[in-house]
Amino acid sequence: MPGAAGEQSVSIRLIVNERRHQLDVGAGETLLSMLRERLSLLGPKEACCEGECGACTVLMDGAPVASCILAAGSTNGRTVLTVEGLAGTGELTALQQAFVSHAAVQCGYCTPGVLMVLTALLEDTPDPSEADVRRALAGTICRCTGYQQIVEAALDAAQLMIRAATS
Amino acid sequence: MRFCRVRSVAEAVDELSRWGTEGRILAGGTDVMPQHLRGEQSPAALIDISGIDGLQGISEVGGATSVGALVTLRRLATASLVQLRHPALAQAAAVVGAWQTQTVATVGGNVCTAAPWADTLPALLVADAQLTLVSKSGRRRMSLGEFLAGPGATALRPTELLRAIELEPLGERSAEGYIKVGRRSAMDLAVVGVALRLSVTPSSVVSDVRIAVCGGTRPPHRVPSAEAALVGTQLVDGRLDCTEAGAELASAAAPERAKAAEYRRRVLPGLLSRLAERCVAGISGVGS
Repeated sequence: MPGAAGEQSVSIRLIVNERRHQLDVGAGETLLSMLRERLSLLGPKEACCEGECGACTVLMDGAPVASCILAAGSTNGRTVLTVEGLAGTGELTALQQAFVSHAAVQCGYCTPGVLMVLTALLEDTPDPSEADVRRALAGTICRCTGYQQIVEAALDAAQLMIRAATS
Repeated sequence: MRFCRVRSVAEAVDELSRWGTEGRILAGGTDVMPQHLRGEQSPAALIDISGIDGLQGISEVGGATSVGALVTLRRLATASLVQLRHPALAQAAAVVGAWQTQTVATVGGNVCTAAPWADTLPALLVADAQLTLVSKSGRRRMSLGEFLAGPGATALRPTELLRAIELEPLGERSAEGYIKVGRRSAMDLAVVGVALRLSVTPSSVVSDVRIAVCGGTRPPHRVPSAEAALVGTQLVDGRLDCTEAGAELASAAAPERAKAAEYRRRVLPGLLSRLAERCVAGISGVGS
């Protein structure tokens, strides 16, 4: 719950998916709770609440974070991107499109987090090896796919993006 | 609970002296927030230092490397200065949790939490880390070894802030590394971890050895008896015989009777040999 009993609130300004927000958040409130319950962004998922499973992964200033254990109060002045912000223009990103064509989504619960960490990887390492992709995925648990389709989708998306950039 | 955002070291030590044991410093929050969410900790105030720019830098100061307390593990793992001058630290930071953790977790948080399994601490110990602690009444310097008094209990006073960590970079004809064993190859705590720094003379005699371990029940620490077993050893055909040092390391670093310690005793000699092999190969002109 945002703003639990006995907690004072703190004012923050931040950018979420290219929109500016000013919010009063609870002292012990997490970024995940703020995104889901105050901003109705239900892409990032709540699962372990311990920073272990990666379902809540969002990007903060371009780097992946576990929003379930990040204090909302400490995101003042930061820029946050959730899975909702990826297709901001209405078109799926190359990575999202590759997830569709490789059937890299089964139950879908881990998908928002996986997409965010792989988005950061492709920004950081545009031509990743399979080992790079698997290392990046270490903090996001998927119990359906066995990761193979996810890895193939990420490698395919990287090649599509390289071709698009050089053509 | 209050959330106190501070913008400078001066503001931070003001808040710390105001709240004392009721205040808790929040940096990356990867330990503090889960403890809060589980109801294990209920401080009266979270003092958020994450916005203090003065605690962010990595720099060379008079031959030493100065690392600000807020430098993240991701930065330690990827910064070329750290990879070059402190490879064991870069290797250790890269195997803590996952990318999501490394983005926000800080080296200062690792030091002050002082978990027995903290991968970065053995790497800091072999670089002879010196801490600068500041409070309203001044500053003091202390070696990391002295600071780590017991598991989760450090020499940090409630009114003090860890400001920076000074490290001794690798010298000539020296190499270092870090290896851990966990239950999984990622996203797991160290069951046992070893950092080794090795220096040899031009005639391939080991002149300086530093070995530090994590895992187990004690806070991470150096193991002087295992270090002594390697000093003066002659490399033969580019190889270093670690039999005696490995046995010494096992008995000194995991003396308990528990099964977990028995496991660590079996694993430690092999880890030391692998690290020594890697270090020797990394010292140019020594490996065959």
